[in-house]
Amino acid sequence: MKGWWWKGLSVVLLLYVVLVGLHTPLGPALVYASLDRIAPGPITVGATGYNTHFTKETPQVWLENDGYRVCAAAVDVHSDVLLQATFNVPPGLRSNMTSLWAWDATDGPVVLRDAFFTEELGKDLQGAGCTVSTTERSGFSFPNRTILNETIRNLFFHVPMWFTMMVLMTIAFVQSLLVLRKGNLAHDRMALSAVDTSLLFAALGLITGSIWARATWGDWWTSDPKLNGAAVTVLIYAAYLILRGSVPDPHKRARLAAIYNIFAYVLMMVFLMVLPRLTDSLHPGNGGNPAFSQYDLDSSLRAVFYPAVTGWVLLGVWAYTLHLRTARLISIADEANDR
Amino acid sequence: MKLTIVKPLMAVMALLAWPVSTFAASEAPGWLQERMFASGKINTVVMVVGAVLIGIAIWMFALDRRIGKLEKNAKDKK
Repeated sequence: MKGWWWKGLSVVLLLYVVLVGLHTPLGPALVYASLDRIAPGPITVGATGYNTHFTKETPQVWLENDGYRVCAAAVDVHSDVLLQATFNVPPGLRSNMTSLWAWDATDGPVVLRDAFFTEELGKDLQGAGCTVSTTERSGFSFPNRTILNETIRNLFFHVPMWFTMMVLMTIAFVQSLLVLRKGNLAHDRMALSAVDTSLLFAALGLITGSIWARATWGDWWTSDPKLNGAAVTVLIYAAYLILRGSVPDPHKRARLAAIYNIFAYVLMMVFLMVLPRLTDSLHPGNGGNPAFSQYDLDSSLRAVFYPAVTGWVLLGVWAYTLHLRTARLISIADEANDR
Repeated sequence: MKLTIVKPLMAVMALLAWPVSTFAASEAPGWLQERMFASGKINTVVMVVGAVLIGIAIWMFALDRRIGKLEKNAKDKK
């Protein structure tokens, strides 16, 4: 069983990722309000929650505008996820946008930010309005973000594909350097196997990203710098395979492919890590100065994301070793045939 | 030897992913699922996990074929 532990580890980690990543509920949230603008006077608004428990205990419902709160005069709960609240909106709210809040002991505070466009603004209202509870709920859940919703789970399946691709391409890069240093065909074989396997993960990253983009950004493909960079990267590495196919002499091919691969790796880094950060991107952590903390990852996501990255990278390396061992056997068989 | 391990692993993962993800969807009421783009979107997660599994399966078939050729080669020699 020597040498097997990391393969088993990847299986265990991915099992954990699938179980916890798909089983953990999203935190409660408000997702929809039946109005989109409010004016002074009595209004009745229907609010839709997601994973909320309104029937357990009638929630407090309030509007919040620039720090001023207006509590509901009456709250009518229809179901766990549906309630109707009546407000007396005072004249003189200060901000264009008013948020809708609800709180109950089970769900903690939930909010639909900037839910209403506000008419007839003024500067008369002072203070904070009514008082409300904001005690947080307890329990393990993933954040429920607008637009993302359940798709936040894709974090564990889309992002690690790219991490795995980069690890495999780094292996290919190092092997290419070794080819130039030692002129050894064994290193060339390793580089080829690593590139071949990394393209699987690049393809999976593109496909999963495309599906995710359709549900959140509204299109299968957007002209986001990171998307186009990824597409160009895949094309560059596909050209690596074509280049290899066009050189019959194995030693010449090894050196040429190694030189090309070193350039390809640098280009990949520029296209995926540098250029998207110089401009605005729909991807988190890009446009501006990214740091890992800016990935908007809260601790519940980290608890699954880090094992997911480790598990997928180990699986990718495993796939690479399978590919490489097959390639070795094929070359041994070919040599035997030539003799 | 390795292959006999990987394939059942993928099958197990697929089986695990299926009921669990549908359970996550059951948190939302029926009419809310009809408004998938307003909330929920669990189908997207199912599609993404499915795409990953299909991609890995295709890769496994490709590897299977390479090994199959090796086997044939070895048999012809004997």
